[in-house]
Amino acid sequence: MTCPLNGPRNISEFTYGGELKQMPDPNTCSVAEWADYVFNSENRLGVVTEWWMHTASSYWFLAERHTGSDEILRTFDPSELFNQRIDFAVPEAAQ
Amino acid sequence: MSLSIHHHAERSPIYELHGNAALTLLGERLFVAGSQSDSEQLQCCALIDLSNLPRVGFRGTDSATYLQREGYQLPDAPNRAVVQASGESLLRLSQTEYFLLGSLHDGGARIASEEASWHYDEGQANYLLPRQDSHAWFALTGAYLPKLFAKVCGVDLRAEAFSVDAVVQTSVARVNAIVVNAGIADLPIFHLLCDRASAHYLWGALLDAMEEFDGKPAGIGSLLDSATSAAG
Repeated sequence: MTCPLNGPRNISEFTYGGELKQMPDPNTCSVAEWADYVFNSENRLGVVTEWWMHTASSYWFLAERHTGSDEILRTFDPSELFNQRIDFAVPEAAQ
Repeated sequence: MSLSIHHHAERSPIYELHGNAALTLLGERLFVAGSQSDSEQLQCCALIDLSNLPRVGFRGTDSATYLQREGYQLPDAPNRAVVQASGESLLRLSQTEYFLLGSLHDGGARIASEEASWHYDEGQANYLLPRQDSHAWFALTGAYLPKLFAKVCGVDLRAEAFSVDAVVQTSVARVNAIVVNAGIADLPIFHLLCDRASAHYLWGALLDAMEEFDGKPAGIGSLLDSATSAAG
């Protein structure tokens, strides 16, 4: 696999981090929606976007992979999708 | 009185493996001194324990500005290093992470004071990454380095692919490691930083791998001489 930071490396240097999922708003979503986000996977056949980490540099990135052929189509830095800081407001009850 | 490791609290993670090797002080820190024959050994294939030499990391979107203000020259791309005029190596590991390796010339004093003088500033995204107790630091030298690394590492580290000041973060003998090409005019040198808890294993694995090239452990004396003559 080609790491966007370190270049082509043996697959043994990488750790799988799960599917890329849209996070529901934790302040407004239902418990069921949050549990679905945290625990469930789509496990689709086809091209999926997944989190991977280059273990030797602890660098997280995104990869587009076909789950049928296991072909990796593209790897890219998460800043392509995540370009601003997200702050979580602490619920008043926890303060 | 001869130096004894047992009189020093700061010890390399592999100090037990140095046996009865003669020791020397660099600043307040103990290292294996090495022998007269080391300079030939260094040219061939040698392994040196630099774990007691200070090192530290910084990460954050303001780290580059912070380090420039401290007077460091920064690499302009990730996985590159710049040797400072005072001898330290400054590695850039990602867009916003830096790793500073102390110099043999001052026994790492500048880097040690860098770590000591850092303080948390809420208005500045520059976070200290203590590296002294997380990583072990070995130097490997000699003409056989690319052949040696071909045995234990999947990345091409021959001179044409891995130039001086290049950095790779990869797996060496199955241990995650940072390898820096710190070669000087007349001596190929790689610095290797790995998980400190795995140092014992990796030291043995590297010595085993370098046996066919007549590789042996060496001390810092000859390395310091080479670095001094290269700088001079």
